[in-house]
Amino acid sequence: MSSETSKMSAQGVQVYYGANHALKDVNVEILDKTVTAFIGPSGCGKSTFLRCLNRMNDTVASARVLGTILLEGEDIYDKRVDPVTLRAKVGMVFQKPNPFPKSIYENVAYGPRIHGLTRNKAELDEVVEQSLRKAALWNEVKDRLDAPGTGLSGGQQQRLCIARAIATSPEVLLMDEPCSALDPIATAQVEELIDELRSQFSVVIVTHSMQQAARVSQRTAFFHLGNLVEYGETGQIFTNPRDPRTESYITGRIG
Amino acid sequence: MQTEKHIVSAFDRDLEGVQATLMKMGGLVEAAILDAALALETRDAELAGRVRAGDAAIDALEEQVQTECARLIALRGPTASDLRTVLSVMRCAANLERCGDYAKNLAKRSLVLNGMMPIEGAPGSIRRMARAVVMLLKDALDAYIARDSVKAQDVRQRDREIDQMYNGLFREFLTHMLEDPRTITPAMHLHFIAKNIERVGDHATGIAEQVIYLVEGRIPDEERPKASGVAALTEASQTAPRSES
Ligand SMILES: Nc1ncnc2c1ncn2[C@@H]1O[C@H](COP(=O)(O)OP(=O)(O)O)[C@@H](O)[C@H]1O
Ligand SMILES: [Mg+2]
Repeated sequence: MSSETSKMSAQGVQVYYGANHALKDVNVEILDKTVTAFIGPSGCGKSTFLRCLNRMNDTVASARVLGTILLEGEDIYDKRVDPVTLRAKVGMVFQKPNPFPKSIYENVAYGPRIHGLTRNKAELDEVVEQSLRKAALWNEVKDRLDAPGTGLSGGQQQRLCIARAIATSPEVLLMDEPCSALDPIATAQVEELIDELRSQFSVVIVTHSMQQAARVSQRTAFFHLGNLVEYGETGQIFTNPRDPRTESYITGRIG
Repeated sequence: MQTEKHIVSAFDRDLEGVQATLMKMGGLVEAAILDAALALETRDAELAGRVRAGDAAIDALEEQVQTECARLIALRGPTASDLRTVLSVMRCAANLERCGDYAKNLAKRSLVLNGMMPIEGAPGSIRRMARAVVMLLKDALDAYIARDSVKAQDVRQRDREIDQMYNGLFREFLTHMLEDPRTITPAMHLHFIAKNIERVGDHATGIAEQVIYLVEGRIPDEERPKASGVAALTEASQTAPRSES
């Protein structure tokens, strides 16, 4: 089912926020067309590492990132790489749905427009429709594309943000606790969507719900105190983890 | 093995609860096998009747274990060693339930045998074999509770001794049947009893394998030493013509 080819490769990644050593020597291969879940207690560095993958830490003044991160063999921290272009290839969906205060259409059209991915209105319309379809939102919004995105329900807003993220045809989609503000039905819809998206992208998801990690991912990485403790096939991690810290965390013995 | 407590303490209570029920089942099964073998040797119909009636309590406990485990899976979503604990409890309960059936069957056959010509020494041998298999079962359950994979390996090895006792009894019964056809019916009953006790040893081994699964996360796959009953049968049938001549 899931591919074995590496899409992104992290080698010796360390992050400091000032003097705080938040991430210590992380090495991991993010596989193509695979959902990878990052789990671990709050503050262990999951979001920090996720933000390294599309250079969102560049925007944090105190953050210092060491080590190498490759996207298809190319160093994403190379001086010639434009972070804005990188973020179109490595898209991100956040915990709280954050649609722009614009129409549903404009929310999705924004990325393709600024990156000049379409030549005319017809092409842009097509990209907007396809993105909304992939995000399983088209049928619910096709009659009110001019309505404000902020007027949708929480679950719909999150799917709108996913549509926005996939409108630039990314290769990797990063999601930081994308369901924590959603009810169980909306959560299930997003999980179903994640499973469909993996036929086209690599998806990396940070989640606090271990059940969610078990349900949606094929690979799981467990972080603890800034270390990547264990990384493996999701079924193995949840039935027979090798590291006692992973065991304690997933069985609910350490927080 | 996991010794830390869960943050949600009710989870620990549930896990301990199903294992306690399993151990209670084990106690009843051990007693049933010993009582049935005693009833056979002492021709005690009353005791045999009690063993037969007692199997219902073992079955009820098995059902209780399976229900509690299903509930635990549904409500607590166990993972890793917790999941292996629940799965192994379910499998061990199934093993013990079968052993209970064998004890009941032994009791039934002992009642039939009460009305037949005794075979010299056989009930005593059966009872010795029953005691040995109960020791094996007890050690398997002790290894389970202690998560002691070394002891579990020992149980797997010792099952061979039960197999050898069975093979010995098999030859003994065959000799009786060849020498005196009037012993055929009681010897056949005794043979089934011995075979069933040998099966109890296999279930003890099954429990020991669950201990290894719990501790190491894998079912042992290496072939365990087995004194094959089939080999004994071949051997015995080869001795048969010679005793005729
Ligand atoms: N923008 C930031 N500035 C300073 N420190 C931060 C920042 N973001 C995270 N940290 C620190 O880095 C560590 C890891 O945090 P984070 O990656 O958010 O963990 P997680 O996502 O696993 O909960 C924590 O000690 C946190 O306080
Ligand atoms: Mg976080």
